[in-house]
Amino acid sequence: MKYTLIYIAFFLSLPLNGQDTFRSDTIKIPEVLIQRGNFNSDHSGYKKNSLDSSVIKNYSHSTISDLLSDNSNVYIKSYGMGGTATPSFRGTGANHTQIEWNGVNINNPMLGQSDLSILPVGLVDDVQIISGGASMSLNSGGIGGIINLESKPEWNKGTIIQINPGIGSFGQYSGLIKVKCGNNSFQTITKAFLQSSENDFRYLNNDIGAEPVWETRKNSQVIQKGFLQEFYYKRNRNITSARIWYESADRNLPESMLTQQVNSGEKQFDESLRMLLNFDINKGKINYFFSGALLFDKLNYVNRLASIDSRNLAETMSVKAGFEDRVSENITFKTIINEDVNVIHSNNYDQNTTRNTLSVTASSQQKVSDRIETSLLLREILDRNKLLIPDFSTGLQVRISEEKEYFLKANISRNSKIPTLNDMFWNPGGNPLLKNEYAYIYEITYEMNLKISSPAILKYDLTVFHNNIRDMILWHPGEFSYWTADNIQNMNSTGMESSLTLDYIRNNLTARINAGYSFTRSINEGTNTESDNSAGKQLMYIPENQAKASIRIAFKKIYSFWLVNFTGDRYITADNSKFLPGYLINNLTIGIKYPMRASSIDINLGIDNIFNVNYQSIAYYPLPGRFFNMKILIQLVK
Amino acid sequence: MKNLLKICLLWLLITSCSKLPDNLPSSYVFGGGVYILNEGNFRAGNGSLSFYSYDSSKIYNDLFFKKNSRPLGDIPNSMIINSDRAYIVVNNSGKIEVIDRSTLESKATITRLISPRNMKVINDSKAYVTSIYSDSVAIINLYSNTISGYINLRRSSESIVVSGNNAYISNWVGGKEIMVVNTLLDVVVDSVEVGIEPESMVLDNNRILWVLCNGGWTRQNFAELVAIDTYTNHVYKKIVFPTKEASPSCLQIDGSGQTLFYLDNGVKKMDISSGILPSTTLIPQSGNYFYKIGINPLNADVFITDAVDYVQQGYLLIYKNDGTFMSKNKADIIPGSMCFNLRIDSHTK
Repeated sequence: MKYTLIYIAFFLSLPLNGQDTFRSDTIKIPEVLIQRGNFNSDHSGYKKNSLDSSVIKNYSHSTISDLLSDNSNVYIKSYGMGGTATPSFRGTGANHTQIEWNGVNINNPMLGQSDLSILPVGLVDDVQIISGGASMSLNSGGIGGIINLESKPEWNKGTIIQINPGIGSFGQYSGLIKVKCGNNSFQTITKAFLQSSENDFRYLNNDIGAEPVWETRKNSQVIQKGFLQEFYYKRNRNITSARIWYESADRNLPESMLTQQVNSGEKQFDESLRMLLNFDINKGKINYFFSGALLFDKLNYVNRLASIDSRNLAETMSVKAGFEDRVSENITFKTIINEDVNVIHSNNYDQNTTRNTLSVTASSQQKVSDRIETSLLLREILDRNKLLIPDFSTGLQVRISEEKEYFLKANISRNSKIPTLNDMFWNPGGNPLLKNEYAYIYEITYEMNLKISSPAILKYDLTVFHNNIRDMILWHPGEFSYWTADNIQNMNSTGMESSLTLDYIRNNLTARINAGYSFTRSINEGTNTESDNSAGKQLMYIPENQAKASIRIAFKKIYSFWLVNFTGDRYITADNSKFLPGYLINNLTIGIKYPMRASSIDINLGIDNIFNVNYQSIAYYPLPGRFFNMKILIQLVK
Repeated sequence: MKNLLKICLLWLLITSCSKLPDNLPSSYVFGGGVYILNEGNFRAGNGSLSFYSYDSSKIYNDLFFKKNSRPLGDIPNSMIINSDRAYIVVNNSGKIEVIDRSTLESKATITRLISPRNMKVINDSKAYVTSIYSDSVAIINLYSNTISGYINLRRSSESIVVSGNNAYISNWVGGKEIMVVNTLLDVVVDSVEVGIEPESMVLDNNRILWVLCNGGWTRQNFAELVAIDTYTNHVYKKIVFPTKEASPSCLQIDGSGQTLFYLDNGVKKMDISSGILPSTTLIPQSGNYFYKIGINPLNADVFITDAVDYVQQGYLLIYKNDGTFMSKNKADIIPGSMCFNLRIDSHTK
């Protein structure tokens, strides 16, 4: 029974065939790979979300930022097309969110965050959104949560070639190619992505003169390249994999709408090379696993006008090793050792800087009775030769009814976040004496899966959470005329998230309705100075209300996807005296798919911002009105 | 659990009270007082204009937006008044907003400037605008409100003071020179070497130019106060600050041109005849974060802006010229430089 439950949970979190509303789109998978469970097995008492694979396919030419902002309750703060985009989970900051690739942290160690606008969706197979304490089973530091990008094999014979060109408004051209071949014991998958965009959209500037003026966005061009090669080898139940991911983004950065000066020549070039090696060995009741990653992240920023030429290279080595022991039928025990080494070469630091972080994690999961499960995780981190106060997470899961799938899940965690290297070593202002930030995270979830009638399935969940973040690092004006980093802020965020999925399948018709709502109060406790008016106020750029809804309908060869995204008001001043108004955006995709024996051709047309709403994510950085894109997917199967 | 309860209570408290009405009168009344430019945060576009009125002893915020229904721009840096017009130099927006001095209504916008900092009216038809990120000073045609030309200094420019037919322009960031421009010909005619990073300058009643050099942010050089005779363009006095840690800024002078004021861990006051720096602090910071100062030309009252933490609304603090505290007024985000509006129509910096 216990395993059934775990496996149900496991399958629910994987957008495999069964979750896909469009069965014919997906390659049949005869066998399930247990591999990624090694670092990431579900712990009892926690909620996890994976995005629907058909949704991911719809965004194959978009960025992770667009995907999450439309389809999750992670709030994305974006400078607009081509501009930087950072995530916020449950009212926390961008560096409280960790972006992982198959369980390896790929946040830039200097910034402690990732720019989601340069991570293409087309290269990944699955996107998991893991909020709060649940993220601790994957890695430390995700106080808000972890977004895990997965690439994974399909163990079947034959060759599949996908050619996927696209074209869109504002001079956007994109192309994605995937080639997969192999058999039941060896697989090779190659993916390449190229996108170029002018992003020269028109927008109405209400803020520049007495009369509103139509302007064209300038200096916003982006060229993005990505290449991912994966090899998988399976023998008995042991799997070895090697992956290499190169990507680059060459961007011009546009100015604020309020700027009327001549082009500042502001540019950014990001380049990353990521190599990952995994071994998974299964010996009876024990799984051993090992992963080694080498990451190189280059970030060059040039502002000709301000004579800034910032050059930064971060090299990271990350090694993880551990085992999972199914001690008895009801108890599983797991241990992981993780070692991260960062080496930074930057003309903004006094000298080349190295950091070494070691962590040991032990966790166990116990099935107390048929309906009650518990889990416990303990972690000790050694950062720069200093032991941190240990972190923990404990969860309880109760199946309310024996017959029906109604669950109550609760967990309490303490999670630490070590300072970023910029916080410590940026010259001027970096503070090498910074302590780590930490948070207490409380969460209760009610979850239900209900078969309403034979073709209709309903899934619903409601979560209430509360985070206390302590010793938050804030840059503030220091003694001299430059800013410095210190652990001076405390913040609390409280809120609820709810989502509902309804599936309906009958004959040639499949439909899925998704709806989600989240409410977040993220309160600054202030810094105890006399004139501080920000205490007790909502943090800037955290919307209190967010709601998303989508409906996907497929009938025979035709499919459509309608998405509605509501984001409420967001304050843009610390004392909440000004705010950006909320917005409601509608997007529609319509497509048709012709099968040709095993192969197929699929054409779709997308309209974004159908009602041409004028809105902003960051004040005075315009976003485009209505725009279009078209994609063709040619799939050849041999 | 206790925290959860506290949060719930706090939440109730916050959601149950509606926003308090602004206790400041919303309509601004033209009269004697001082304009305060709130710089706002870099790139956030939340710069704004405030006015402190002598008549009502009150501060009026966000006046540009209230009058013109659009934001002032990104980092308004300085403001000057010239007859019935006021000019606001908006640094990171690359523009100058030309407004009616009494109604604050926008009259024109001078655009395509590169990182403009300070403006000085030369005569009825032209003004100079300094630039932190270009090598030239822009010449503005005040009739058409357009850029009519440039004076190439081959270095960036910050502060500008006119004496006779010469404009003295400081090369602040990374520089150590004062460039001398003939205002009839619009050409560089001379330069004077001073200390590292000449940040601010004033002219006294003997036409001596006082230049405050802050020594650069790396604290590897001493700050200096340098006096230049504008008849000869020679340095006639140089006072070096005692430690490299000292980073003075914002040199101002009273209306009589006799007393200097500057910020150096509090407000310092110094007579122009003094050969040494003041040993006492006129107004200590005592927990505040003094950002800019302005001196009322009529009575030498000291106006200080306090930027608090640079992300929330700051304050305008007013002291008498002997250092007696008078009032504290809530301005907007990063209140910076000030421009005095005198009842008589003389133009002031």
